[in-house]
Amino acid sequence: MIEVYVGMVLIALTGMYCMVWKKNMIKKVIGLGIFTNSIHLLLIAIGFRTNGIPPILTQVNADYFAMQAVDPLPQALVLTSIVIQLSVTALALGIVTLAYRHLKTLDTERMNRLRG
Amino acid sequence: MIVYLLLVLFAATFLVLIVKRDEIAIIAILFSFFSMCYMFMNPEIMVFGFGGWSPPFGIVWVLDKLNVFLALLVTGISSVIAVYSLKYIKERRHRYYTLLCLITIGLLGVSLTGDIFNLYVFFEILSVSSYALVAFFLNEHAIEGAFKYLMVGSMTSLFILIGIAMLYGLTGTLNFADLASKISHDPPYMVALGLLVAGFSLKATIVPFHAWKPDAIEGTPAPIGAIFTSVSTAIGVYGILRILFIFNLIQINWVLILFGAITMLLGALMALVQVNVKRMLAYSGVSQIGYVIMVIGFGTLLGITSGLYHILNNALIKTLLFMGIGIGIYLTGKENLNEMGMKNTPLLICVGIGLLSLSGIPPLNGFVSKWLIFMASWEISPMLTAIAIIASALTLAYSFKIFSAMFLANRKIEAKVPKILLIPVIILTALCVFIGVFPQAGLNMIEPAVNALLNQNQYITAVFGG
Repeated sequence: MIEVYVGMVLIALTGMYCMVWKKNMIKKVIGLGIFTNSIHLLLIAIGFRTNGIPPILTQVNADYFAMQAVDPLPQALVLTSIVIQLSVTALALGIVTLAYRHLKTLDTERMNRLRG
Repeated sequence: MIVYLLLVLFAATFLVLIVKRDEIAIIAILFSFFSMCYMFMNPEIMVFGFGGWSPPFGIVWVLDKLNVFLALLVTGISSVIAVYSLKYIKERRHRYYTLLCLITIGLLGVSLTGDIFNLYVFFEILSVSSYALVAFFLNEHAIEGAFKYLMVGSMTSLFILIGIAMLYGLTGTLNFADLASKISHDPPYMVALGLLVAGFSLKATIVPFHAWKPDAIEGTPAPIGAIFTSVSTAIGVYGILRILFIFNLIQINWVLILFGAITMLLGALMALVQVNVKRMLAYSGVSQIGYVIMVIGFGTLLGITSGLYHILNNALIKTLLFMGIGIGIYLTGKENLNEMGMKNTPLLICVGIGLLSLSGIPPLNGFVSKWLIFMASWEISPMLTAIAIIASALTLAYSFKIFSAMFLANRKIEAKVPKILLIPVIILTALCVFIGVFPQAGLNMIEPAVNALLNQNQYITAVFGG
């Protein structure tokens, strides 16, 4: 299990590196996506259970079900979060398009220099 | 009851775009304001479970006094701004009102929810509509501000999401009351607390997270600047307060005091050197939130009372100033302080009262909460009172700069102000003077909220007993 958490931290750091250090606006948006997905991985890992069964109550034995079923709540949270991040990414790309139309560049440093 | 309120607001959001009548949005926002007034009269804690699920399993909205006070403030400011924008926004007004409805839903949802993931969802609704509103004018400033705000905003929202994931992994619950009864003060919980507080500090604009605000506000329409500096920051402070409430950590906290003091001084100093009036007011908002964060860090009864009082007064004053100066921008088309001299007596009185109140001159409302803040900080350390007084003096300095640039300049435009722009400003001015003359009226609203914040057990029993 620990590998998943270590991997999540590495992916999150990659995403944050992209968002903070890259100068290209598109790359910043990609970094945002990477960072988001690392957190989705964390959420899924929290609900994971070794040899788990799907969380659908078909057997009568409720104790066995409670012991073995995977926690479904984090998956619902991840689905909600994916929808939210979809809208954020769409808005971000829209803003990037407009920025390119106005400034004829995607470089954030040149955007700052234009303001003086 | 609450479900219908949400349905009305969501329906208005889409109807404005389909039917193309802006009045629908105004009526929906006013409706939410009056229903919040009705809720405010109710003395008990109200619990609404969605979909018929009992509290720890389903999503609940819990209306205690602190929540409802915030929701009343949010919907009140939103409805004033909705009326004002009818004249102020000249083009693409239907889209503007759609986003205004959405931002109201976000603010209302964050303040009323009792479930931490639901809080994140509404926080994102608030954030996404904020990003879109920053970009509303589609010019260079607006696009640049929106992109900066979007990047830092979504990054800190993700900090909140990590914090929520950690809390869920540690306790197995998302309900505020359930979390409050299961939380301990071990290191992993403290990491989650830090992430959540960092996430909310962006909305509250505490100093390391303040850089987006002037850039974002420079590009927005003035009424949206009012939302950002008044209620959006109030929601950020509420988020921090609610997280501290869940962790049962409403006590003296030197980290908050330190960051509050730095925010207060830095915001006031940065406001002094600005030439763009909107940027100046944005830094002024940062500075005022510094006071609130500092006194919340004291954790005393007086400290929290003065903090909440200052949230109320800051919201009223900042909305008044942004709308008053917005009239100036509407008439002159200029935002530079050196170019917006004008001549209009009612506007002069309103903006003058707002600026005097901002710098804490008696008998106006800014004085009341600042006096309480000075008293609360005197209890902890006279040094902090000195810092607060220095920041207050700096506030007077930049207030005078705005006033002289607008009304004492040589180049004057004589202009007639449309009534629909002036009436909301006059209402807010009257409220400022009223609270200043009768400070007990404001205190009566805030005392139940402070009691609700300091009494965690009452909250838990209300959620599970109901």
